[in-house]
Amino acid sequence: MSDQPLRTPATSRVTALTDTAAADYEVALESLNQWQLAWRRFRRHRLALVGVAILAVMVFLAVFGPIIWPYDPLDLRRDLPGPQGFDPIAMPPFGSDGAGRSVFVLVANGARLSMLIGTTTMLIAVTIGVLVGAVAGFFGGWVDNLLMRFVDLVLSIPFLFIVLVAARFFGGGELVPLILIFGLLSWPGLARLVRALYLSLREQEFVLAARAVGVGDLRIAFRHILPNAIGPVVVSATLIVANAIILEAFVSYLNFGLKAQDISWGNALARSQERIAVGNWWWPFFPGMAIALTVIAINFLGDGLRDALDPRAKE
Amino acid sequence: MTKYIIRRTLGLLPLFVGAVVISFLLMRAAPGGPQAALAGIKSITQEDREKWLRRWCLQAEVTPINMLKEFGGWLGVLNCDSDTVPEIFFSAQGGLNVLPAALGGGDNGILHGDLGLSIRAGRPVVDVILERVPATLLLTTTALALWVGIAILIGTYAAVHRYSLFDQGMTFLAYVFYSLPTFWLGLMLIFFFAVFLRTSGVTDFFPSGGIITTRDWPPFNTPQYWAAFGERPMAAIVDIGRHLVLPVFTLVAVNIAADSRFVRAAMLEALNQDYIRTARAKGLPARTVIAKHAFRNAMLPVVTNVALELPFLVSGAIVTETIFTWPGLGRLFIESVGARDYFVLMGLLLVSTVFILIANLLADIVYAIVDPRIRYD
Repeated sequence: MSDQPLRTPATSRVTALTDTAAADYEVALESLNQWQLAWRRFRRHRLALVGVAILAVMVFLAVFGPIIWPYDPLDLRRDLPGPQGFDPIAMPPFGSDGAGRSVFVLVANGARLSMLIGTTTMLIAVTIGVLVGAVAGFFGGWVDNLLMRFVDLVLSIPFLFIVLVAARFFGGGELVPLILIFGLLSWPGLARLVRALYLSLREQEFVLAARAVGVGDLRIAFRHILPNAIGPVVVSATLIVANAIILEAFVSYLNFGLKAQDISWGNALARSQERIAVGNWWWPFFPGMAIALTVIAINFLGDGLRDALDPRAKE
Repeated sequence: MTKYIIRRTLGLLPLFVGAVVISFLLMRAAPGGPQAALAGIKSITQEDREKWLRRWCLQAEVTPINMLKEFGGWLGVLNCDSDTVPEIFFSAQGGLNVLPAALGGGDNGILHGDLGLSIRAGRPVVDVILERVPATLLLTTTALALWVGIAILIGTYAAVHRYSLFDQGMTFLAYVFYSLPTFWLGLMLIFFFAVFLRTSGVTDFFPSGGIITTRDWPPFNTPQYWAAFGERPMAAIVDIGRHLVLPVFTLVAVNIAADSRFVRAAMLEALNQDYIRTARAKGLPARTVIAKHAFRNAMLPVVTNVALELPFLVSGAIVTETIFTWPGLGRLFIESVGARDYFVLMGLLLVSTVFILIANLLADIVYAIVDPRIRYD
């Protein structure tokens, strides 16, 4: 699977026992905590490393792009050669849009808002999803019934539908309402997952042990059980980030999202379809490519995390 | 079995009621509201406007009682021609308003099949929605059939030849296509096939959007169109087929990724079972083991999964229809959001929610039928 030779602790332990003196035994027997083991498994996942590298480039672009390339994204070049704007050769590196804005500056500036929306949406959705799922799964009974019927209800309404209507009617082109809409509608799937995890985890012996020594309900639910459920939660959190970035792009592309002055990857794409017919492919291509690469990278990362954080995974 | 189906159906009723309430709240919470929207229709007279307001029990002030009245009117329980308490529950025919018209009930509200008036079109919502159904079903059934079929082929082959070059290549492709924003893939396809290939003189076979060539045919799904269709059926089918290629490809490419992974996982699971080892051990040919023993069992979860995907037929192509200006329900939805066409939005929300609920029910039933191990009592 990997190019470099695998050195598992098992083999190093065997080497330690056979090849070295008994005095070295303690040294050679590495003791790794959960996170070190997870990091070790993660490092072996080549696609996940590719994902981290791509994400690093994107974050660099978001943080330093507008500083290194300090142009206002709303600046227009007025000497356009035609309706398609400058191509990437006439205006490096990514050409201009139909109005004369530099597509590169749009992509670099858009990275900030798109990633901000992705991560904050995820934080809202994970907070609500984990809380609701944990309470439902841990306490069961009528609380569980009530919360899960509500989750069923939200999940039985087409997601894109309600998001678009809410963004159009309550978004007002502002960033905070848009993030709230995305976050408040993205948690039901996660809550269902967390509930299922809690249902099985609360029957485990470590919960019984904690109860036996008198640990309270809340502490059991969030300090004892939650760390054991962290793997699947982290994986779906990455998916929520990816979905929120795509969702924002589509909503803004339709002009139901952010105001035109706020540059996100979706806003950078808005109205680009009109100019495709005159050959301006670079305008939609590069912002879309940024979205696609980021989402692929996040999915790779999520896959690596799933393998790394699975407590049952063999070393 | 019948008991099981009845119980599952009854379990869906609260969800349906919840969806109705949410659809209604969506309309009431939206700024402006349907009164303002109704005032925006220029084509109807003041008298008609008042008639419509009464028909839907729309009230000027927002108070809890008025909200209940409006909800009752939208449902079709109340008849707002009268305003006093016992009379409001009865229709002009004298029966309870909630009953079907044939039994002396009223004819207003969703219970009587009246979803309201489209502000943009100035016509009943039911008509506006129904006339978009053929285009959407044409697109979505073609796409669904293709991608499920191809996903089963790819997933099965990848599972049987696990870790082969094909399997790894398909895994990678699934990742890529799963991650592509649908609308961006559509844009790029339009650029390459409809613009680049045309301007570079290779072919002008691929149109950049729409369902028919507008200069050759009357507007789609009008009586004139079907008359022209009857005269030259082959030409009409070829014309629609040309317009179908790119949107169907978009839908298939994005959706095949997840499904082929699903089929692969199901097939791997089946191949790991003891009865497969037994079948191999007693010397059956590999082909028989795979096709008869593994494949048929692997299809159980796949069938359920497909049943759960059925709502896609109605509400799954919003993005694709928008990009390819396909005159279906998804595009109607986007247009109605843009125009704040409340009754159409509520109607679409209701219809697609009902479809999702039916699909969930269907998935449960199908699973209980195909898998004898499921106990459903």
